[in-house]
Amino acid sequence: MSETVAIRVESLSKTFGRRKKRRVEAVKRITLEVHTGQVYGFLGPNGAGKTTTIRMLLNLIHPTEGCAYIYGQNVQRNHSVLRRVGAIVEGAAFYNFLSGRRNLEVLARTANNYDPKRITALLEQVGLAGRAEHRVKGYSTGMKQRLGLAAALLSSPDLLILDEPTNGLDPSGMHEIRQFIRELADEHGKTVFLSSHLLSEVEQVCDRVAIINLGEIVREGAVTDLLEGKTQLRVEVSPADKAAQVLQEHWSLSTTMTLPAIPSPPIPSPTTAAVKQPGNSNARWLTVNASHDDAPHIVRHLVNHDIDVFQITSQRQSLEEYFLSVVREETERAAG
Amino acid sequence: MLNLFQAEWIKIIGNRWASGFLIWIFPVGAFGFIVIFGLILALSPVARENARGDDTGPDANTLQWTKQALDVWDFPVGVMGRLILLGLTSVVFGGEYQWQTWKNIVPRNKRIPLILTKYCMLALVIVLAFALMSFIMAAGYGLLARIVGVSYGPALKGSVIVDFAGDYIQKALLALVAIIISTAYAALGTMITHSIIGGVLVGMLLTYAEALSALGMAVIAHFLDQPVILNLYRLTPGYNLQNVNEWLSHGQPDSANLFDMLEVSDSLEFSAMALAGWVIGLIALSAYYFHRQDIT
Repeated sequence: MSETVAIRVESLSKTFGRRKKRRVEAVKRITLEVHTGQVYGFLGPNGAGKTTTIRMLLNLIHPTEGCAYIYGQNVQRNHSVLRRVGAIVEGAAFYNFLSGRRNLEVLARTANNYDPKRITALLEQVGLAGRAEHRVKGYSTGMKQRLGLAAALLSSPDLLILDEPTNGLDPSGMHEIRQFIRELADEHGKTVFLSSHLLSEVEQVCDRVAIINLGEIVREGAVTDLLEGKTQLRVEVSPADKAAQVLQEHWSLSTTMTLPAIPSPPIPSPTTAAVKQPGNSNARWLTVNASHDDAPHIVRHLVNHDIDVFQITSQRQSLEEYFLSVVREETERAAG
Repeated sequence: MLNLFQAEWIKIIGNRWASGFLIWIFPVGAFGFIVIFGLILALSPVARENARGDDTGPDANTLQWTKQALDVWDFPVGVMGRLILLGLTSVVFGGEYQWQTWKNIVPRNKRIPLILTKYCMLALVIVLAFALMSFIMAAGYGLLARIVGVSYGPALKGSVIVDFAGDYIQKALLALVAIIISTAYAALGTMITHSIIGGVLVGMLLTYAEALSALGMAVIAHFLDQPVILNLYRLTPGYNLQNVNEWLSHGQPDSANLFDMLEVSDSLEFSAMALAGWVIGLIALSAYYFHRQDIT
């Protein structure tokens, strides 16, 4: 296997519990490949198997079946390949009784690459230089997360595996981390395997994503490919319930977009100003999974059913919407 | 490898509360005892008089620095000493589970060296603490003897020092074996329960079970009318530690008639072999268990 592939996972499975009744198949024969220099998003709802997969990549958990390779080396057989990896797993955890600097020293010495200058530079880079000598016990969640990032970067890794790296960070901290991740890939050629619940974050940062649900990879591909053609139409209608019923005969609705909290775009012309405004108990926005070309058909269909249409706009589906629809679809499919 | 040892040292010593209360308390306690006792003796003529005439006090006839220095090493060999040391060993092994720090450590180095380093550093810290305590007791009793005005022997001669050094190394080695056995119990306990308290409880259970095993075996032997079953007691770490200690202290075995069923009296070599088996077996078992374990 060449160096162009940073991570390769082949039919990786993990089953917890020995007794039949307690057996849980956390990860089911997943296969994926992450190329060097990519920022790869790993998405899934809670309990989908993301962290179990990450732990298998780091040789923390032994797979029941299959293999995980990093730079072509089986991580179970060649532990030394993990020296090329930096990781944050399920939030940063440290020795609270030691200072931030001491914690990094312990980790660096454990990996046999202790360099005090590198530690100082990393502490400055993550904005913890001023608190480096303080005990981690007094650190906020965000500070611990920054220290976790410094720990992940200690050995100048080629591959970073980051599980929820922006947890506990304020918006500017999250923005910094996002920029930093992109910079690592674009300017330093590092590979980043990123697991996050913040899908807008993943959409902004990742080149490719895999969606895992109930232990299986249900979608995988470049973000642009996955979202290509995934347009939605937002329709302001009244009465909304009747409109939903009518539309569902031909198109699928994205229920997440029907919340009344969605702000209304300004009414463009005096002719529509007289109609019912959102906020009226009958008028509501519906989000229809349909293409731009479907707009006239939808309007005609609604009007034929005596439904008032105030506005219709098309928009590209976000990764979050795509993710939710995929997870819902797959969960329903699994439930039979 | 040196870096790995240094990392473990930072973790043990850096946890000031745990190391302070669970190990450094021994030399510090000994120092405190000497200071308080010394003050009392210095300030009270009655106390000095009593100490001079009291057999249990720093009496010239019984007081020897060699004995003071060696007696300290009996503590980790006994059941109580082994139980007290379970605290520190559980913190060192169980802390990594409780603080969820294994996930940072395990990808950075192989599991077997990580576990072996913990054994080595724990043994080093505990031996260091008892060596310090032994020095404090030997030197401190010398000070007390001077305050009371009695002699403190034996004189520092070459032959005395050579004999003492031999005895000291033997005693310290035996203590080291006891420490490693306690450490292994705690290590297995923390690995199974993933907690510090779990390590202490499992360690205590195993230590007590081992101490009470003779009774259990006697009951079984009685009901089955097979006194030979009691021979299994001869393989327990507790018995062999006492037997070796008896050989080292008095040059004779720890002979006993177990429940009027079996006469036990084993050689130093037998007990040394049994202890070596326990040390190697327990370390190998804990290393194997950790190697196979999922860090969740």
